[in-house]
Amino acid sequence: MPDLLAARAQMGTSLAFHIIFSALGVGLPLLLCIAEGLALFRNDKTWMMLARRWARAAAILFAIGAVSGTILSFELGLLWPTYIKFAGAVVGLPFALEGFAFFLEAIFLGLYLYGWDRLSPRAHWLCSFPIWISGLASAWFIVSANSWMNTPAGFVIKNGKVVDINPIQAMLNPSTPYETIHMILACYVATGFGVAAVYAFGMLRGKRDDYYRKGLMLAMAMGVIAIPLQIISGDANARFLVDAQPAKLAAMEGVFKTEQGAPLEIGGLADPSTGKVIYALEIPRGLSILATFNPNSTIKGLDAFAPADRPNPLPVHTSFDGMVVSGFFALFIALLFWFLYFLKKRTVPTNRLLLLGIVLSGPLSFLAIELGWMVTEFGRQPWVIYGYLRTKDAVTTAPWLNISFLIFTLIYVLLAVALTRLLLGVARSPLPKVEMPGTSQQPEKAGV
Amino acid sequence: MSVALIALSILWFGLIAYAVLGGADFGAGIWNLFAVGPQAKRQTQLINKALGPVWEANHVWLIFLIVGLFSVFPSAFAILSIALFIPLTIALIGIVMRGSAFIFRTYAIDTTAPTTTWWSRVFSTASLATPFFLGAAAAAVASGKIDITNGNVQADPGTAWTTPFALTIGAMAISLCASLAAVYLSVEAHNDHDETLAEMYRLRALIAGAITAVLGALGLLLSQSEAPILWQGLLTRALPVVIATMLIGLATAAALFYRRYSLARILIILETAFLLGSWGLSQYPYIIPPHVTIENAANDPNVIVILLISIGIGMVLILPALYYLFSVFKLPTPAPGVEKKEEHTASEVSQEKSS
Ligand code: HDD
Ligand code: HEM
Ligand code: HEM
Repeated sequence: MPDLLAARAQMGTSLAFHIIFSALGVGLPLLLCIAEGLALFRNDKTWMMLARRWARAAAILFAIGAVSGTILSFELGLLWPTYIKFAGAVVGLPFALEGFAFFLEAIFLGLYLYGWDRLSPRAHWLCSFPIWISGLASAWFIVSANSWMNTPAGFVIKNGKVVDINPIQAMLNPSTPYETIHMILACYVATGFGVAAVYAFGMLRGKRDDYYRKGLMLAMAMGVIAIPLQIISGDANARFLVDAQPAKLAAMEGVFKTEQGAPLEIGGLADPSTGKVIYALEIPRGLSILATFNPNSTIKGLDAFAPADRPNPLPVHTSFDGMVVSGFFALFIALLFWFLYFLKKRTVPTNRLLLLGIVLSGPLSFLAIELGWMVTEFGRQPWVIYGYLRTKDAVTTAPWLNISFLIFTLIYVLLAVALTRLLLGVARSPLPKVEMPGTSQQPEKAGV
Repeated sequence: MSVALIALSILWFGLIAYAVLGGADFGAGIWNLFAVGPQAKRQTQLINKALGPVWEANHVWLIFLIVGLFSVFPSAFAILSIALFIPLTIALIGIVMRGSAFIFRTYAIDTTAPTTTWWSRVFSTASLATPFFLGAAAAAVASGKIDITNGNVQADPGTAWTTPFALTIGAMAISLCASLAAVYLSVEAHNDHDETLAEMYRLRALIAGAITAVLGALGLLLSQSEAPILWQGLLTRALPVVIATMLIGLATAAALFYRRYSLARILIILETAFLLGSWGLSQYPYIIPPHVTIENAANDPNVIVILLISIGIGMVLILPALYYLFSVFKLPTPAPGVEKKEEHTASEVSQEKSS
């Protein structure tokens, strides 16, 4: 494998791995905080059991999130030294602030996960607030750094040198509001549907007690609040791209030729060799309407860019459609769930098909995150810093990149297998006995 | 003092924090290797208890260092990433395997399963390898052997980080981590009233400390020919710090000898701080001798000022929180929100409170 390809593959694999834990790292602490709060204020054992169980899973997931995030911090330098020399100078600030958010998160996580027996119930519950707040902040900071790669700002190039750096302006670049909001919502969507899927699966296997119902309800509540906002914000993202990154939009929508009154291509394969989207459902003028509210507006196609500046539309278009489909599926499931819930006078619906739909919506929401990132990252190619630094010029000169890619891939496979086994073990282990309000002893045998 | 120098001093403080906190966590992993025989289970439990609540927070110092380095000295970070690609990649693998193996073995449902034993070994091996490669990489920087002729860097296949000097410093990093951990573990065992373990770690701390001292002396001797800039600095500007390091090392040994565990813990932290301080001071004003200096690698001063301000704000939030974390789990001082009572009465007491 050529070095550039190996580096891109390693970076992409590492990010795709990390994002799963990041999303949970942002979403789960909020669920924990709500569940423990409900347990304390309603003096309710079931909520406390849920909080306990989620905390145990969170301890494992967060550790893997931390190590996989560390890989990324090193890789920014090890694989892309030229990139980090540029980005570090201009947009180091959000990375540094993210570091502080991690600090707070890790400190209170230690207190929260290991403090059940040491802290008073109220102090323990209070420790969950800094966790979810700093999780949210860290997501905002890191995504603002990524936004900067898409719409670089806050510096001037003079005689080949980066000058007049304004880190605040770089952090608040034009993409930041769109990308950060969309990503933070995505964390709640994925955590909500992901956790709901676990309980829906349990209910499909005949478990119908209060524990499962409450777990499912809280997770679906998070899902139903986040998913409509997610779709609205995604729509705003796409419209923003019309001017900010027209090449990405063209790749996303499979627009090969600049056209007035461009049609919307739904599904299909955007084949760059023929310049056609095959097997797609075509809605005449659809794209012009969606993107600008004007059926006759002109949408730039890939042909408006030099061949060397075009992203490959095939993965971008397909990923985009996958994300949108997953989003609408999750919306449909969430609305159906709550509709049936209120229809049946506030009882959790146990319709098998609906439960099956929920089980499906969990993985699909995570898939939507992965696909959304493929849109962003593949759609930015061939640039790593849009308009300023090409990916091929950013890669390291160090040798053996494909060996490094191979080793890290093996590590990810190993971690994924071990993690899955461990989480299944946690799920199968008997529920902790909880004495309200939740200061009973941890099961000793696990050595916590 | 230039802003870049202030920023570098803060980064050096971060390095010291990572060494005394994160380094000790690696050290605990190394001692896990020796947790065999009749005491094995208690040792493992002690190590798990010591690491559990704090290792993730300790680890973030490394992230702080990386991010700080590439924000303040972007070009130096790029050069180091290329030149030290191999040792840093190996250290990274070690860091990853240490963290995940610790979790996999601590949270295993069946603590006697073969996979759990296997993860426990991975935990130890990774804890041993990581400080070695980080130490060797640091020595490669200090030796001035990183080749930057006319701004062109190559990945170093081993000429800089496998010299006798680098290998010695790598080994010394291992023994330093091990002595830090042994001292902390003896304090924890002593606080748990487990005097057998406290004695065991006291002895190990003394041995590891002696090894560190020997390797340190060897490193110093080797630096004369292999790291001339460092040697020069050590004998001139940094000489008082070097002497202080040695004296504090002796004092640590004495404190351990007389079983003053808590005092030994403070002293070994000081010793590590002075040791790293003497390195920094002696290679001033270079970041990567003999070409990259603080001045020519520093980012735009305005950017550094903004970074310094945000670091200041961040520290105001972090340091009290860190203190709280350690006071809940590590220090005898009573912290607010902590319930001081027997495990069994826990629920009763809190029931009263909430009703
Ligand atoms: C739960 C996950 C999820 C769901 C349901 C959606 N998205 Fe999304 N999308 C993401 C998760 C995501 C993401 C992974 O979080 C991305 C990657 C980068 C980013 O900021 O968010 C993203 C990126 C992203 C981008 C590229 C932004 C850029 O590169 O600047 C666009 C245009 C959209 N999305 C549009 C949509 C639309 C129109 C949706 C309607 C259904 C939608 N997304 C649902
Ligand atoms: C966590 C979610 C993310 C995922 C799944 C993701 C995915 C990917 C993928 C697939 C690539 C390879 C693209 C290619 O070369 O064709 C890539 C490259 C890259 N990403 Fe991301 N990305 C994510 C977030 C980020 C963030 C937040 C940053 C920076 C702050 C970032 C920085 C980079 C860099 C520097 C590269 C390498 C250069 C390039 O290929 O353009 N990524 N990412
Ligand atoms: C959209 C993309 C990303 C999001 C939302 C995100 C979010 C998070 C969160 C919430 C954590 C806390 C640990 C956990 O809860 O699992 C975390 C860990 C981490 N992330 Fe990411 N991250 C993203 C991408 C990146 C990238 C590109 C980098 C590399 C620069 C990175 C570096 C780290 C590091 C170093 C940690 C470990 C912190 C620790 O030691 O506790 N992340 N990330």
